[in-house]
Amino acid sequence: MNFLKRAWLSLSAKKGRSVLLVLVTTAIMLFVLAGMLIHTAADQATANAKKSVGATLTLSANRSSAFKKMRASSSSSSKPKLKMSSVKLSDAKKIAKLANVASYNATVSASVNAKSFDAISTSSSTSTMPGGASSSSSGDISLSGVTNTSQSTSFTDGTNKITKGRGLTSSDKNTNNVVVESELAKEDSLSVGDTITVKKSGKTYKLKIVGIYKSTSSSSTQMGPGASDPANTIYSSYTLANTVKGSKYAGTADSVTFTISNPSKVNSVKAAGKKLINTSKYSLATNDSSYQAVKSSMNNIKSFADKIVWLVAIAGTIILALIVILMIRERRHEIGILLSMGEARWKIVGQFFAELVMVLVVSLCLAGIGGKFVGDKLGSELMSQQTQSSSATISAPGDSNGGNMGGGSRPSGGAPSGGGQGGGMAVHSSMGGQTGTTSASADTDLDINVTALTMVELGGFGLAIIFLSTMLASGGILRLQPKKVLIES
Amino acid sequence: MLEAKNIGYWYTHKDDYLFKDVNLTFEAGQSYAIVGQSGSGKTTFLSLLAGLDQPKAGQILYEGQDIKKIGMTNYRKRDVSVVFQSYNLFTYMSPLDNLLTAMAITGSQHAGDKEFAATMLKKLGITEDLMRKNVQHLSGGQQQRVAIARTMACDAQLVVADEPTGNLDENNTVEVVGLFQKIAHEQGKCVIIVTHESAVAEMCDTTYRLEKKVFSQV
Ligand SMILES: Nc1ncnc2c1ncn2[C@@H]1O[C@H](COP(=O)(O)OP(=O)(O)O)[C@@H](O)[C@H]1O
Ligand SMILES: [Mg+2]
Repeated sequence: MNFLKRAWLSLSAKKGRSVLLVLVTTAIMLFVLAGMLIHTAADQATANAKKSVGATLTLSANRSSAFKKMRASSSSSSKPKLKMSSVKLSDAKKIAKLANVASYNATVSASVNAKSFDAISTSSSTSTMPGGASSSSSGDISLSGVTNTSQSTSFTDGTNKITKGRGLTSSDKNTNNVVVESELAKEDSLSVGDTITVKKSGKTYKLKIVGIYKSTSSSSTQMGPGASDPANTIYSSYTLANTVKGSKYAGTADSVTFTISNPSKVNSVKAAGKKLINTSKYSLATNDSSYQAVKSSMNNIKSFADKIVWLVAIAGTIILALIVILMIRERRHEIGILLSMGEARWKIVGQFFAELVMVLVVSLCLAGIGGKFVGDKLGSELMSQQTQSSSATISAPGDSNGGNMGGGSRPSGGAPSGGGQGGGMAVHSSMGGQTGTTSASADTDLDINVTALTMVELGGFGLAIIFLSTMLASGGILRLQPKKVLIES
Repeated sequence: MLEAKNIGYWYTHKDDYLFKDVNLTFEAGQSYAIVGQSGSGKTTFLSLLAGLDQPKAGQILYEGQDIKKIGMTNYRKRDVSVVFQSYNLFTYMSPLDNLLTAMAITGSQHAGDKEFAATMLKKLGITEDLMRKNVQHLSGGQQQRVAIARTMACDAQLVVADEPTGNLDENNTVEVVGLFQKIAHEQGKCVIIVTHESAVAEMCDTTYRLEKKVFSQV
């Protein structure tokens, strides 16, 4: 394998040229690596999002068929009305009896007005209503009725946390026990054990505080200007919320979320559950909108990353091919001597290829070192750009960029209780349903790591680029007439 | 050992030939000079003998066998060693590596390759110190001696040289031609030197002149 030795001698003797080759190859490899890293990271984020979606099914009114009905009736009546049915708890209980359903959580939303205390007013609501913030008729407090606070999305996704007292459980059914937000408690000097009153349609309700939670959310979970601060959400049992809404709501819920004990069985439970309900009125859906949002956003990033990889690979092949062509011109005499000695042409091509492989080995090491840095930078840069154009806001945890990207998810009109986002990649997305906006977050650590596998893949890519460029340029070697080289001298 | 049979060559037109129906023989242990004016076609003829190109007509027999049959690459590898006027060496190597590389490519095996190559170089006045430096640090005369040492270190029995003294001064010329004589007489190889210098031709055993498209022995 004399041509390998020649390759080595050539590289070590012509140091300037070798360094230049290493730099060019490293640059090409770095770009390819960056693209690959972004692709892997996007894959990872998608996988993590899928995992964190967990196994839940949500039973709610079928919005699309409700809209269809509304449109159908609009021709006859002048003012179409969207009739949304509540979910019957009797239906929910049927589904809850299916195999693999661990538990269920009913959700009912209602709005009430604070009576014995003051709701937290936000700057935006006071500026639009000079008369006073708490005089709104639509209610300044949103009452979020649940079966179990620990199973409601805001608590499972980590947006809300019980800090004092306890959360609500199914044993709080038919009681007036509530959980209030810590900012509201502080503002009104409320503590666990206190009783507060709220009113709705002339009726007054006495509520007993059994727990205090802290919200890290910045956006409201209820409509209505006065209730725009998340601290104005009070959790109660769904029965209390139903009572507040009116007697015809008894035994119903806005939506019911089922927790599936075995996540892989979600789809079979969904199929079985659909047989038990009137699917034109209700829908039973996997709660994966946050996953879908992450997935589509990551797919965009992935296709972009793939484009980078291919563009750089093609450009790199052309650049290296040009360099090899120039190298061959410069080394015509050497090739002539080799040919006159009867060296096989493929071994001469092999020498050039071997030289580039040796260069590649050094470049791969350099790219591996630089890859972490470039991958991080490019990755977070892309994430922030990508998410601005998609509905999902993704912030990378821990790293320095996390801060400003997380900032994107907060409204610019300073929410007082916004608080710091606690690590993880939070994905806020709008979800349909009568509960208004549900905030779902997926804990997807975006680790941009240069693994051994990545390096092997990169090496394969590099080899392919070098092989192609050598092949493109080797026409020069294969056509070279030794006589011509030597006569010209 | 080597026989040119009815050789003819032209570049653009058959009528515009450089030479045709050339019949020459070259024997082992002998040195030959090919002289002629610049542009007469000496280099072209030599490239045919060296297997770097093929004649348009006729054939070249090595040990009685058509070199096309031997295979041009095989022929160049095993049977011929070429020395040019310049650019003879791998510029990124030391003299020692130049010899070792040539020996490896041509499959010339000797007991203790490195010692053998070093001995050859020393015989031609390349010191231990010099033979480990890059060849570009050597003078023209020294480089040409390295090329000759390389030829001596390889097993090929036919040595062809195109103006090997073209870049050398008088002293070096005499010395280099003397070395070619040694290759012919001591190693028993067949040496063919193309030159335009009559002094060089006079030192060789036989001289052919290419004049007016015809070869003739002087
Ligand atoms: N590739 C070529 N195409 C056309 N003509 C050529 C080519 N190479 C050499 N010649 C011509 O052939 C003639 C012989 O060239 P050459 O063999 O180099 O002569 P010498 O070595 O005797 O000086 C010259 O006139 C030269 O111009
Ligand atoms: Mg010539």
